[in-house]
Amino acid sequence: MILGWLPGLKWTLLGAVVAACVAYLVYSASSGSSEYYLTVSELRSHTTSGDVRVAGVVQNDVQRSEGGLQVVFTEKDGTASIPVEYHGTLPDIFQPGITVVAEGRLGTDGVFHASAVLAKCPSRFSTTPYTQ
Amino acid sequence: MIGYLGAGALLAGLVMAGFSAVLSFWSGWREDAVFVEVGRRAFYASAAMIVAASVLLEIGLLSHDFSLAYVTEHTDLSTPIPLVAAAFYGGQEGSLLYWALVLALFGSASLVASSALGVRLAAYAAGILAAIETFLLVVLVIVASPFDLLAVTPPDGLGLNPVLRDMGMLIHPPVVLAGFASFAIPFSFAAAALLAGRSDAAWIAHTRRFALMAWALQGTGLVLGMWWAYHVLGWGGYWGWDPVENVALMPWLATTAYLHSSQVQERRGRLKAWNFSLVILAFLLVVFGTFIVRSGVVPSVHTFAVSAIGPWFFGFLFVCLVFSIGLLAFRAGSLGSSTRAAPTVSRESAFVLQNLLLIGVIAVVFWGTVLPLVSGMLGQARVVGAPYYERAAGPLFVVLLALMAAGPLLPWRHAGSSLLQSLRWPLAAAGAVAIVLFAAGVRSVPSLLAIPLAAAAGTTCLVEYSRMGMKLRRSAKGWAHAAAVVARKRRRYGAYLAHLGMVVLVVGIAGSHFWQQEKDVSLMPGGQVSVAGYTLTYTGAEQTQLADHSELVGAMRLGDQTLEPARATYPSLGGQALTHVAISSTPIADVYIVLAGVNADGSASFQIFVNPLVSWIWAGGAIIILGVVLGNVGERRTVFELQVARAANPQPA
Repeated sequence: MILGWLPGLKWTLLGAVVAACVAYLVYSASSGSSEYYLTVSELRSHTTSGDVRVAGVVQNDVQRSEGGLQVVFTEKDGTASIPVEYHGTLPDIFQPGITVVAEGRLGTDGVFHASAVLAKCPSRFSTTPYTQ
Repeated sequence: MIGYLGAGALLAGLVMAGFSAVLSFWSGWREDAVFVEVGRRAFYASAAMIVAASVLLEIGLLSHDFSLAYVTEHTDLSTPIPLVAAAFYGGQEGSLLYWALVLALFGSASLVASSALGVRLAAYAAGILAAIETFLLVVLVIVASPFDLLAVTPPDGLGLNPVLRDMGMLIHPPVVLAGFASFAIPFSFAAAALLAGRSDAAWIAHTRRFALMAWALQGTGLVLGMWWAYHVLGWGGYWGWDPVENVALMPWLATTAYLHSSQVQERRGRLKAWNFSLVILAFLLVVFGTFIVRSGVVPSVHTFAVSAIGPWFFGFLFVCLVFSIGLLAFRAGSLGSSTRAAPTVSRESAFVLQNLLLIGVIAVVFWGTVLPLVSGMLGQARVVGAPYYERAAGPLFVVLLALMAAGPLLPWRHAGSSLLQSLRWPLAAAGAVAIVLFAAGVRSVPSLLAIPLAAAAGTTCLVEYSRMGMKLRRSAKGWAHAAAVVARKRRRYGAYLAHLGMVVLVVGIAGSHFWQQEKDVSLMPGGQVSVAGYTLTYTGAEQTQLADHSELVGAMRLGDQTLEPARATYPSLGGQALTHVAISSTPIADVYIVLAGVNADGSASFQIFVNPLVSWIWAGGAIIILGVVLGNVGERRTVFELQVARAANPQPA
C-alpha cells in the first residue's frame, strides 16, 4: 500500500543527493559561524575563545562619546556584571533598564568588545516593558 | 459594557464553531447534504460572532474605553487615531482575534465556493476549518481574552512605543498576519480531500486559488516588513534572519514549492502525495512559527509578550502533526500516479529539483531557528547569525536561479537536441553580464554567479514573451484576437511577470548585499565626506522642542538636495530616542544617513551607508504581486470546467 506513494528510483536518488548537499552546507556553515548564547554570569565562567552573544540588562552608567558613536556601559544579570564597549549606532530603544544582547568577545582587559548590540524590539504596542 | 458584549460574542462564536466542526464531520461521513449545509451555516454564524467581537474591540479602542485591560495596555489619549485603530492587531490578544477574524472571513469565502467539490469534501473542509477556528476561540476565551476588564478604570492608557508610531505599522502587520492566517484554508481543503479519499485535480484547482492568495499576502507582508525595517529602524539593512522573520519565510517557501509542483499534477497527474504534503507542511510551519514566536523559547530581538498561549499552540502543533502524518500514511496507497515519469531532462524534473531545493532552504532556515532550543537542551545554547544563513542557503538560492532560467524553456515531456538551442539566449545573457562584471573588477564568486544567473532568468521570461508576440503577429487576426489569447493564457504570462519581478528583487538583494559601503564620521559644520563616490556636506544642526519630544535635525547637502536625518528624544519615556533616517533613493543606489548625535565641540556624528540597488527590491516585490494579480483575476472557471470534465469521465474515489 505504501508502494504507490514511493517516488521512482531516479527521484529518490536526486532527493538523496540534494539532502546530502543540504546536510553538508548546514554542517559546514553552522560549525563555522555558530556562537554561544550566554548570560553575563555564564560568560564569567566560559573559557572558549571566539565570538559569543551575551544577554543582560543595561545599567545606569551609559557613557557616550564621539557624538554617541562610541559607547561604554555595564551589562548585568542577577549576579554578575561586565563592562561593554561598542562603536556604532545603537538601537533606538537602547537605554538603562532594557535587556540587550551584545555580540563580540571578552578582551584580556576584562572589557567585552561588542561588534553589535541588539535590543529587544517592541513587537507589541505597549511601552511597559521598556520604561520600568 | 463592551467587555461583556465582546466576551459574549467570543463565547457564542466558540459554541457555533464547535457545533459546526462536529456536525460537518458527522454529516460529511453520512453524506447528508442537508446537515452539511447546516454545519456550513454554523461556521458562517461563528464568523459573524467573530466579526461582532472585532467591531466591539475596535469601538472600545476608538472610544478610549480604559476599563478594558487591552485598551489600557496598548493605547493612550495622545496616540494618533489611526494607530489606536491599529492597536487591534498590535497586542497578543488582539492579534489572535485578528487571526480568527481572517480565518472566519476567508474560510467563509472558501466554503461558499466549495459545494461544487462534492458533499463529502466540502463538509470535511468546513469541519477542519471549524476545528481550527474552535481552537483559536478556546485560546481567546480562556487564556488570551482581549475583553478582560480592569478592577479600576485608569484615566489614561500606557501608550505606544515611539518606534511603533509609524504608519508602516498600519500595513505591514495586518498583511503578514493575514497571510499567516490564510495558510489554514489550503490545508483544510487538502486534509479534507485526503479524508474523503479524493486526489483528483478538482481540489488542486480550488486549493491553488487560496494557496496563491496566502502566498501573495505573505509575500507582500515580507516585503513590507523589509521596507519598514529599512526605513524606520536605521541599521542600514532590511533582513536580519531573526526567528520572527524566519518563521514568516518558511511557509511562504513551502507554498512557493506547492504552486510549482501542483502544475505537475494538473498537467500530468503526478506528485499527488507530494502536493498534499507541501500544503500540509506550510500550515504546520505556521503553527510551529506561532509557537516559537509567542512562547519565547528561542532568543529573538522581537519579543511578543510571552504569555500562557505557548503551551496551547504546542499542543495544537502536536495534534496537527499527528493528524496530518496519520492522514498521509492512511491514504498513501491511493495516491499513485496515473502516468509514467517524465524523462530526466524535462519541465517536470525541473519542478521536482526546484521543490527539493526549496525544501532544502526550509531545512536550513528551520535548523538555524531551532538551534538555540536544541543546543540548549543538550548543553550551552548556541545561536547562528546571518553568515550561517548566507553560507548554507546561498548556494541553494544560486541553483534555484539557474533553474528559474532553464525550467520554463524545458518541454514537459521530451527534451530533444533543441535543448541547447532553446537555452541560447539566457546563456548568452548570463555570459555577457558575467564578462561585464568581471571587466568592472568584480571578483567575488557569489556575485559573479548570482547576478548573471538572474540576468539569464530574466532573459528566459523575455524570450517567452517575444515568442508569444511573434506567434500572435503571424496569426494576423487583429488585436482583439491577440488580446483574447493573452487573456486566456494569463496565468502563464502572469507567472512569467512574477518571475521577472523575482529577478529584479534578487538583483536588488545581491547588489545591496555584495556592495554595501558604510562609514562613521564626525563632521564640523561645512565639513565634507565622500562615501562610494557620493560627496556629502554637513551644513549644521538644529534643535527644536515639540509637545512631547525634542528633535535634533542635522542637515547634509548631497548635490542640490538637502537630506535631514534627525533624532527625536522622548523625556516622558525615560529619554528614549527615535531615529529618523534620511534616504536619498535612486535606481542605482540609496544614500542612507543616520544622525548619531552632536558633540560638545559643535561637530555632529553620522553613520552613512551607500546601499546599491535597494529600490529594486521594492520594485521587484510590486512586480511579483502585479503578475500574480493579473495572472489570476477572474480565474474562476477552472473549478467548474474540472467539474464538467469529471462528470463526463468519473474517477473512482
